[in-house]
Amino acid sequence: MDKAEIKKRVEKVIAQVLKIDPKEITPNANFAFDLGADSMQSIELIAAFEEEFNIQMDEQKAREVQTVEGAVDFIAGYLK
Amino acid sequence: MKTYELQDVATPNLLEDTFPYSLPPVIKFEGKIHELIDGKIVEFDPNEVKTREIHITDTTFRDGQQARPPYKKDQMVRLYEMMSRLGGPNGVLRQSEFFLYTKNDRETIDACRALNLRYPEITGWIRANKGDFRLVKEMNLKETGMLTSSSDYHIFHKQNQTRKQAMDQYVDVVQAAWEAGIRPRCHLEDVTRADLPGFVLPFVQQLERLSEQVPDHMKVKIRLCDTMGFGISYPNAAEPRSIPKLIWRLRHECGITPDRLEWHGHNDFHKVHINGVSSWIYGLNALNTTLFGFGERTGNPPLEGAIMEYVALKGGLNGVNLPVITEMVEYYEREIGTHLASNYPFVGKDFNTTRAGIHAGGLRKFEQIYNIFDTAALLNRPPRVSITDKSGSDGVALWVNEFLGLKGDERLTVMKVSKIFRWVMDQYEKEGRMSSITDEELEEQVKAHLPEYYAKHRKN
Repeated sequence: MDKAEIKKRVEKVIAQVLKIDPKEITPNANFAFDLGADSMQSIELIAAFEEEFNIQMDEQKAREVQTVEGAVDFIAGYLK
Repeated sequence: MKTYELQDVATPNLLEDTFPYSLPPVIKFEGKIHELIDGKIVEFDPNEVKTREIHITDTTFRDGQQARPPYKKDQMVRLYEMMSRLGGPNGVLRQSEFFLYTKNDRETIDACRALNLRYPEITGWIRANKGDFRLVKEMNLKETGMLTSSSDYHIFHKQNQTRKQAMDQYVDVVQAAWEAGIRPRCHLEDVTRADLPGFVLPFVQQLERLSEQVPDHMKVKIRLCDTMGFGISYPNAAEPRSIPKLIWRLRHECGITPDRLEWHGHNDFHKVHINGVSSWIYGLNALNTTLFGFGERTGNPPLEGAIMEYVALKGGLNGVNLPVITEMVEYYEREIGTHLASNYPFVGKDFNTTRAGIHAGGLRKFEQIYNIFDTAALLNRPPRVSITDKSGSDGVALWVNEFLGLKGDERLTVMKVSKIFRWVMDQYEKEGRMSSITDEELEEQVKAHLPEYYAKHRKN
């Protein structure tokens, strides 16, 4: 799966979980400060990424990811 | 001033000599204790407790029954059998005393003896009345406790006697015990509120003089009864409330050896456990207790607490079977119907349950952070979390993993339980819930959101 496809699907998941307009989602957007994710939504986001891409991520490292671009890179690492 | 430099170590120092986790934390002493008695410094060596034959005695069926409706015979026999297993083959739980006055009391003793258990030895309890020895003798008991009240509150205002009349009566009863071939154990009732030089010490010295005429195994035992919980273990507390001074005088001025001295406390001032343990440390061998601390008014030293302290002081089990404590509380609640406070140490429903999410997070990462010792191995009680809106995702994950019995890499992440976590939070945020989530409700959530795990780990 190429990065463009990963990015598209990551943005779809973010919009669904955080219930926001996909237009607000930019590569540098911070989940907490820019997109308004609280701690519970942060976990739900990670869970939704796992489901979307059928992967199991390292919990500690996944929780350290803060931006949309970071999430795309992190997930890409699991899909190599 | 001594300067301390940060030691930025590569591996953590978990102080495992003191906190072995496989046992309750070990109690260590680094020097002697000094007490001022009659203007002189007297030394106590707390490390002596490591080698002295300290042990526990029980009064669940005597003092314990004064605080609650009587136990049925079957219940006492069952508890007695469990006490025997708890204390183990070395007699850490050495004796248990019983009433002798009713037919039920006597039938219970017969039924306990029929189990043919070495420990705890069965002893009796009678009032200071010569006629009551008939009961002790009929039951063929080797030892009995007897009331020998020692404060003027009791002598003057309860017994309407002078000190001499009281002492003469007590001595008569002790002589009668010997004549009947029974070892007397004098219960110095209210001793922490008594005139020590004016009554207690002359009385005990007289008992000791009389004991010279009998063999060692018949010499008088002394139970120090802190009837109202006035005893104080603090260094240099004044008499008669000072436990260190009381024990020292009985040992060094009256000649009572540690094996013949016992402490019996009450919890009126929240000091019952620490006073009992201090009495061990200051030089007597027997600590009298009741199961879960049930006893007159505020209760007695809790048996299970004393057992735990014994292990901590000795640094080993010496045959003690700690998981029986959990059996006992389960039996107590199920069959006897008395429920203990959920936060009661070692046995309460929530004694090792955490509710705070941040604690649950710690527990999930490294159990020892928030568990006092290996409660799963020593008490059959793994640490648990109780789920509320404060439990966090870590708390929910910990609960689910414990519920499913998952270990190591099998354990589910917070992501895997996120839907259950969402349901929990909605209960509070959307439904306005005020109570904890029950285990049954959480089980339903596991069935709904993690059906494959439920089927694999819980279905059967």
